[in-house]
Amino acid sequence: MRRYIARRVLQGIVTIWLVTLGVFSVLRLTGDPVSYMLPPDASKEDRERLIALYGFNDPLWKQYVVFNNSLLHGRFGPSLRWDSRDALEVFLSRLPATLALTGVAMSFSIILGVVLGAVAATRPDSLFDRVAKGAAILGQSMPVFWVGILLILLFTVYLEWLPSAGGLDRLGLKGLILPAFTLGWLFVAAHMRIVRSSMLDVLDSDYIKMVRAKGMPRRTVIWKHALKNASIPIFTLFAVNFAQLISGAVVTETIFAWPGVGRLLVDSIFVRDYPVAQTVVFFAASFIIMINIVVDIAYAWLDPRVRIAG
Amino acid sequence: MARSATPAPELVLPQPVTAHSTGLVAWGRSVLRGAPVFSLCFLILAIACALGAPLLASYDPIETNRAQTLLPPGLSAHLLGTDHLGRDILSRLVYGARISVTVGFLAAFVSGTVGTLIAVVSGVMRGWAETVLMRLTDAFLALPFLMVAVLVVSLLGPSLVNVVLVIGLLRWMTYARTIRSEVLRLTEMDFVRLARAAGARPRRIIVQHILPNIVNTLLVLGTLEVGSAVITEASLSFLGLGVPRPLPSWGTMLAESQTYVFTAWWLPVFPGIAITLLVMASNLTGDWLRDRLDPTRRQL
Repeated sequence: MRRYIARRVLQGIVTIWLVTLGVFSVLRLTGDPVSYMLPPDASKEDRERLIALYGFNDPLWKQYVVFNNSLLHGRFGPSLRWDSRDALEVFLSRLPATLALTGVAMSFSIILGVVLGAVAATRPDSLFDRVAKGAAILGQSMPVFWVGILLILLFTVYLEWLPSAGGLDRLGLKGLILPAFTLGWLFVAAHMRIVRSSMLDVLDSDYIKMVRAKGMPRRTVIWKHALKNASIPIFTLFAVNFAQLISGAVVTETIFAWPGVGRLLVDSIFVRDYPVAQTVVFFAASFIIMINIVVDIAYAWLDPRVRIAG
Repeated sequence: MARSATPAPELVLPQPVTAHSTGLVAWGRSVLRGAPVFSLCFLILAIACALGAPLLASYDPIETNRAQTLLPPGLSAHLLGTDHLGRDILSRLVYGARISVTVGFLAAFVSGTVGTLIAVVSGVMRGWAETVLMRLTDAFLALPFLMVAVLVVSLLGPSLVNVVLVIGLLRWMTYARTIRSEVLRLTEMDFVRLARAAGARPRRIIVQHILPNIVNTLLVLGTLEVGSAVITEASLSFLGLGVPRPLPSWGTMLAESQTYVFTAWWLPVFPGIAITLLVMASNLTGDWLRDRLDPTRRQL
């Protein structure tokens, strides 16, 4: 087990290093970074200040050494906006809003997905099952941002119930409802489908038949014994879904003017603040890698076959 | 998933043979068994719009008309209304199909090619090449896909070609993983072993024995990928980093509609329906192809 963890963590570090290499090269190899980062009408002095600030005149290998060195010391380069604060600081100031949004969206989609999936599985081919299946197919085909606009159209424009823009500190929990629902909707469909199919398998298994044969009421069997095991695939899927969650957050935060890291990325790109943009991408990738490692280790801990084979 | 869920009858009665149930018609029927007819029709419609946009659209999709801005649908000569610059929504949707279909199919083709190449090379070569390629696949899988796409498109400059390349080159991992496991399974099979024992070179084994056997998987993955690529293009255009304006991408239309969401509901509604239908059509067609092409899943 210890060897498995060590190997998995080492693989993760290699992957993170590959990502930093990618982030480094993408900005420098696609063209001249100085012209990306300055507006076209920048003066010659501005140009030289920027080159000196980031060392763009140094040879590439030296830039790479400096880049790695600052990463190891937690420095991501001064932002071009935000009073030249370090990009890491800017990123961290926006992180709580995104964590709140993604956390609520994911919890909501798990609860709703598990309940709907379990109900659908207990009545296969019923009207409920068919409607749920149709809604799941529809949910997976609708772009996140369109769902967001439709919700604004319904709840802000016509019903005038909920605000359409702002963050937690300005609007409180009321402002969280629409963005969280928009982002969670996609995963409700995915969770429902997977719980439904694994629930059907579990209900067919011997130990459930055994419990039923002992006279346990159907309701208890489904919600107490079967549901626990039928929900496991959701957590396997979590690692895969996490990358999608981050993509969804970028779009959702843009629609609802949510002050999180996704919006920070899009805003930074439009004002050419690439130090901040690359920091956001680097941390998002590192989060995904770490989540993957945690899920893998949890899996190996639960299932000895994985650590021997993998 | 696309199959109807009704229980199969216990007894299959022989169908009466009539003159027109033989030959071409019967072949057509057997091919289309359980097909999502609506999805196939919509895919064909979208492709027709993409090819024949100038013939099908009654208005210019780009030319503005200040006299006829924000007309509601149904009235006048504009069936789905006009936008804030007086452009006909229906005509823009027809031209928008061009962008979505082009990006969808080309991006799926690019990612399919890259993914297959990596899968076949790592599956046949083994050794260090395999390790490196699989590490690379893991690294790409860990990327926050849309964030990287946004970053790279902004660096390369938004254009149709760049959008296709970025989507295609960031989404080959599913192909690489699935097809690699298929390749590994095939290389263990007797006919490939026999070919190798008979002295066939790796190149011949790949071309003659491996590739023909992964075509079905490739087709299914590719069809499903069209839908994802369409959504990604729309997302990039929505963020202002996709196909440049004033080209009528469905995602751009949705982005522009946000300003008018309080006054003109038809601006956000119709492009969204178009995207959803195209994505759903490609997903359902992919599901159907998977059931159809996999003998173990086929319902006969």
